[in-house]
Amino acid sequence: MSPKLRPALLALAALAILPGFWRVACALPGFGSPVSPYGQAVNALLPEMRRVSNMVSAINFDVRGFDTIGEEFMLLAAVAGTVLLLRGGRGEDRADAGGRIGGRAIVPRADAVVLICRICGPFTFIFGVYVALHAMATPGGGFQGGVVIASSLLLIYLGEGYGRWRQLVREPVLDAVEGAGALLFVAAGLLPVFLGLRFLTNVLPFGTAKDMLSGGLMIVENAGVTLAVAGGFGTVLLEFMEETRATTSEVADPDDGRTGDRA
Amino acid sequence: MAFLLAAMLLLAAASGLAVVLTRDPRRQVFALAGNGLVLTLLFLVLQAPDVALSELAVGTAATPLLFLAALAAVRINRKRDAADTGGPE
Repeated sequence: MSPKLRPALLALAALAILPGFWRVACALPGFGSPVSPYGQAVNALLPEMRRVSNMVSAINFDVRGFDTIGEEFMLLAAVAGTVLLLRGGRGEDRADAGGRIGGRAIVPRADAVVLICRICGPFTFIFGVYVALHAMATPGGGFQGGVVIASSLLLIYLGEGYGRWRQLVREPVLDAVEGAGALLFVAAGLLPVFLGLRFLTNVLPFGTAKDMLSGGLMIVENAGVTLAVAGGFGTVLLEFMEETRATTSEVADPDDGRTGDRA
Repeated sequence: MAFLLAAMLLLAAASGLAVVLTRDPRRQVFALAGNGLVLTLLFLVLQAPDVALSELAVGTAATPLLFLAALAAVRINRKRDAADTGGPE
């Protein structure tokens, strides 16, 4: 396509889209206007029906629990696909040898970075667990707690270096945590089925509002999401970090299509 | 409050523009992380702390790291391929 034609096409497309865009933009509710009818209904009904104070969690795990199962398995499939794509003989020997580019020196971490990461890493981990545990009472939940836990793994990597990090964060453990999370969610859905009720019916006692252990079956589903997200994001981070390692010269990789890999 | 919100929206626009206008991929990753941080603050100002937490962990920590790791892997591979075929770097 010639460069002159491109602005003309853009202008044509803009002319076609702008009237519709303008009408939709004018029909939107104003910025900061009152909550939508759905949100108002949820705010009015759910605190008494489910005795939880975080409505987002109540929608995710109860009102639309089935959607969340779909999202959970979407994440599982994405992580499995990433692991399949990135498998190969690099970095899996836990050697602390980074890939080098053109003889560039590898600068060691500064002591300040190590100190900050050793202080912040464990606290970030505990904060993630806290956010996940209090999903029914305060903002946050399984997904947020899970990603905070996974990012604490990153801080541990920054503080300890690759070799020590791989000794601490084991891949089979992450895999087991991720799979167990997905399994826990499905088991929570099947529990009411065995009692003769519909899938994901909230059968457990609801507890008292603003309590950590309120919401019945939602607690189990939330724990499942936490495990699956923490394990899944941890696995992806680990797989990507493996790609920055030097290949081991003795492990020739026949699938890679390259002969004579050099470290 | 309105002033804070306007400032955050302007900052979000400016940091988003910085991501688009940065041409070097490595610098773009850090611009993206900065944009994620601004969006985190914007969600916080809009009283959505759970969305802010997700954005902070995913947009500011996880995504930039994945991009950096991918860029590093690409450069390491390119170096090794050049060495294998005996071609120039």
